[in-house]
This record gives sequence, structure tokens and C-alpha cells, in this order.
Amino acid sequence: MATLYTELGDFTEWLLGIVASILDWTKLDFLGEFGQWLQTEPVVTFLTTFIVAIIYLITLMMFGLCFIWMERKFLGRFMDRRGTQIGVLGFFQNFSDGIKVILKEHIVPKAADRGLFEFAIFAILATSFMLFGCIPMSPQFYVIDPPLALLLGIAIFSFAPFSILIGGWASNNKFTLIGGMRAAAQLIALEIPILLVVVSVVVMTGSLSFWDIVAWQQENIWLAVPLFIGLLTFFVAAIGEAERVPFDLPEAEAELVEGWQTEYGDVRWGLVMASDYFRAYIMCGLITMMFLGGWDGPEFIWAEAWYLMKTYIVFFFFVWVRAAMVRIRTDQILRIGWRRLLPLAIINLLIAIALKTAGVF
Amino acid sequence: MKIEERTYTKADHLRPTGYIAKSLRVTFRQLWRATKNRPNTVLYPWEKLVYPDCYRGRPGIVLDKCIGCGRCAKMCPNQCIEMVPFGADEKSKIKRPQVNLARCMMCGYCAEVCPTNAMLVTPEFELSTYNRADMMFDPIKLQHPYKPGYEVNYEFALASELKGGSAKAYAKNDPNVHDTIVLDGSKCISCTRCAKTCPTGAIEMAETGELNPKTKKPIKHPKFDNTKCVVCEQCVEVCPKSALSIKEVL
Repeated sequence: MATLYTELGDFTEWLLGIVASILDWTKLDFLGEFGQWLQTEPVVTFLTTFIVAIIYLITLMMFGLCFIWMERKFLGRFMDRRGTQIGVLGFFQNFSDGIKVILKEHIVPKAADRGLFEFAIFAILATSFMLFGCIPMSPQFYVIDPPLALLLGIAIFSFAPFSILIGGWASNNKFTLIGGMRAAAQLIALEIPILLVVVSVVVMTGSLSFWDIVAWQQENIWLAVPLFIGLLTFFVAAIGEAERVPFDLPEAEAELVEGWQTEYGDVRWGLVMASDYFRAYIMCGLITMMFLGGWDGPEFIWAEAWYLMKTYIVFFFFVWVRAAMVRIRTDQILRIGWRRLLPLAIINLLIAIALKTAGVF
Repeated sequence: MKIEERTYTKADHLRPTGYIAKSLRVTFRQLWRATKNRPNTVLYPWEKLVYPDCYRGRPGIVLDKCIGCGRCAKMCPNQCIEMVPFGADEKSKIKRPQVNLARCMMCGYCAEVCPTNAMLVTPEFELSTYNRADMMFDPIKLQHPYKPGYEVNYEFALASELKGGSAKAYAKNDPNVHDTIVLDGSKCISCTRCAKTCPTGAIEMAETGELNPKTKKPIKHPKFDNTKCVVCEQCVEVCPKSALSIKEVL
């Protein structure tokens, strides 16, 4: 099977061979040795991974922009209006927004802790972009394939409250600080149910690798059927983790201006805004992988298309919930997290264990 | 139109059915409706709403009918109408209204008081210009082709008749029922300025039967033809001795 890696591996080898021959042609010893070093296995692997990661990042950023577009259009219809209208069906609104934020001035508040202020943005952006690589789109189109991929994804995801709290603190502003505190409290409260649901999936499939999880679902049944309670729990917790309405307390516009991002301007703010959607995409991707069979589907279209289609359907539910619900209070979020979602996740885990021990699957 | 009756119990919004299921159902119904038909948005420059027949846009004028009485200028609440000389000559005595549309609030009172229905309310509402001078509509620019329904008509009843119990509806320009001009004969000096000013020719200088004791000529006082009078009050304004006044019909 021709994966992205095999195709690009040949290309990289050819490219490095050309570079090495040019270096050899100079008749300088150290350059010739350098050219030989370039053709060794580790360098080729590193460069191939690098190119694959960049291709994957660009692809997923484009699909992430589609998420923004989809949310705008669907929210418009939910509210009986048209949504964005720039370009073909309003798709170029994202690009015009991007150009706008790029042209803005970068302002750091005088009283802010400059180092941390700049660092927080890159921390949250780096974790968001790292998450892209964790979820494969199909057996052919992926970046990394570790045996603990699911755990790795959840672990990187839980970096977010850290950087948000740093950003909120470093801005030296009461709104950002309150936003950061809320984000940290909420994300930590909702991480426990998420991990318990993940454990139930692992109990059923016996693996933390996405390949094995999807293969198990292809053989038996989509996990959404036996672990329906888990799907609901994960869905609610995922909305909270992605900081979307009704759990968008960290950036409650009516109370906290823009939450922990209040002091950020220019392209940094634009990227953070986009990374909100990227994180929502990650959550949709996790739901698709764990409960909806990943890239499983009839083979008349590509496996990647099946995966993306399911992701978009899950995101439609995200948008629907956003259109329907109002924001709830911090204590209500924490109560939902600890007193509703946690017991539901445990019940779900018990169901998974019972199904496994009874030998149903 | 069906009006739904809704009742809320105290904690309805706290229950999962109330807070989650109901709101999801309502929003999805809205999504389906907006997708199946079309959203409520009007794409303005390309689509326009159908304005009602009684829409009051910018004022327009039919110059053939205008008699230059100036009632519109007096009535205008924003004082955006000015009577300007009209014709080839700058100092012409013929005056016609000029409207400053930058100040106009489209109330249509000018058309309402116009005795000859020369002033119209037109359905034009797209009046943006690139400078303020273009918003000044002189009588020529203010012209608008007449169409039935552009003029403003109304009916009114007299308060005295309402009190009596048998009110009759009168049309807007009923020649028999309107305010009248009253002359205080002891103040009149027979200067005839009112008769010269009257735009409808309703004032005629008539002999009173008395003779001026100095010149032995007959004294003439203005006589008002109420069927022609439009109560523009121009005679009241020009009278040098304040001999004329308005008597309201009640």
C-alpha cells in the first residue's frame, strides 16, 4: 500500500542524492563527506517526516478553516440569516479576516510580563498544531503511528490550561486572569470524565493505537452502539474542553471582554482564535475515531473522505448545541463535570467491563 | 395567525427536557425552515422590500399645480423647506418650495397641508449623495411625476359637531369648512397689499359705502372669497397695521 511516507521517502532520497552529487562535484573533501552523511538513513527519515508533517499541517489547517466557515454558515441559518457572504458561498471571509489580523499592530501592554506574554501564545499554538499530527486521517495519510497515540493526544491536549493560565496571568489584567482561572478549573474538571471514557474504549478494544481501535470497530461494531452513554459523556465534555458555548466561560464576552485573550492583538489573536476551532476539530476527530468507526465505510470514496465527513457531522452537532444553549455559570460547569459526567463515565466504564467479561465482543 | 400559549413552571429551564431538548428542537426547526425556504435577510442593494402604498419617502412637487402659498414651508417641523424665487429672473416674485433633504425627516406634513395637492410624498428613499450640496433639492429637481396615491388626503370632523353627537366627515380641502380671515375694519388703511399678495385671488377690494372725509373718495376694504381662500396667512403677514387675523373653525 502506497502511503504518504513511502511516496515522499523516495522523493526525499532523490532530492538528497542530487544535493550530494552537487556537493561531490565541488571536489572538496569535507563537502563530499557532508553529502554522504546527507544520504544516510536518519537524515532521510527526518526530512521525510518533516515534509509529511508540513503537508499534513497545511491540509488540516485548510479543513480547520472549513470548520470556521461551516460554523458561520450554520449559525446564520440557525438564526434565520445568511452568515458570511464574501467570495464563493462566503468561504473567503476566513482569508480576509486573516489578512486583516496580519496587518494589525503587535501591542504588548506596558505592565505585562513580556516573556510569558509571548510564550503563552506559542505554547497553545504549538500544542494545537502538535495535536494535528496525533490523529491519522487514514492508514495511508498520517504523520505518526505510536502505540499509545490516544494517550499522547489526550496528554498534549491537557497542556492547554497551563498555557491559558500563563497567558491570563502575564497580561496583567483582571479579565484575562479571571478567564485563565476559569479555563484552568473547567478544563481540569472535564478531563477526568474524558479520560474515563477513553479507558472504557481501551477496555473494549484492548489498544491505545487508532489503527487497532478502528480495526476492532471494523470487525465488530461501531463503539457508539454499546458505549452510547460514553459517547454522550465524551461529547459534553469535549464541548467543554474545546471551550465552546455553553461552556465558553474562559472567554465569556458579556462578562470578561474576550477572556484570557483580551490583551492579545494582531495575528497572534487570529491564530489563537483559529486554534479554538482546531481544538474543536481534534475533539470531533477523537469522537469519530473512538465511537464512529474512524475511516470505516463503504469503499466507493476514499477513507479520508469518510473520516472527514464524520468529523464534520460531529461538528454540526457542536454548532447546533452552540445555537441552542446559553452559557452556564462556573459552579454549574463544575457540578456537571464532577456530579453528572463523572458518574456517567464510571457507569460507561462498568458497561464496557461487563460486556468484555461476559464475552459479548 | 396562531398564537401559542406558553406556560412556564418554576424550574422548567433547569430540567434537561426544558434546557436541552426543547432548545435543540426549537433551533433545529428554525434551521430547517431557513434552509428549506430562505433566511430572513434581505440582500439590500440587489433585493428590495415592497414598500406599502402609503410609504412616505422624499417630498416631490408638481409645479403645474403649485400656487406658491408657502403652507408647506410654514408647516415643516424641521424647517427644511424654503420658498425661493422661481423663474428666469433672480428677483422674480413667484416663489416655489426648495427642500433641504439632508434635514428632511420624511414626515409628509408638507404634502398633508398642501391645498392643491401639488406636494406629493414619493416612494424614493435612496437619497445618499457624495456631498451635502446635492441634498438641496430646488423646485426643478424636486419635481416628481404624479401618480394617484402619491398625494396625502385625509378626512376630519369638527370638534363642535362631535360634541353635538352628529359628526360629519369633511374632505381635506373642503372650501366651505376651513379657517377664515377676519378684518378689523377700524385698523384697515386700505393699502391693498393683502389683495396683491393673495396667491389665489380670493381677496377683492370692495367699497364699504363710506367716504373718506378728506379726499371724498369711497373707502375700500378687503373682502374675502372663502371658496377660493386656502388659509395661507400671507395676507395676515403682510398687513402693515395687523388688521387681519385668523378665525379658527371649531
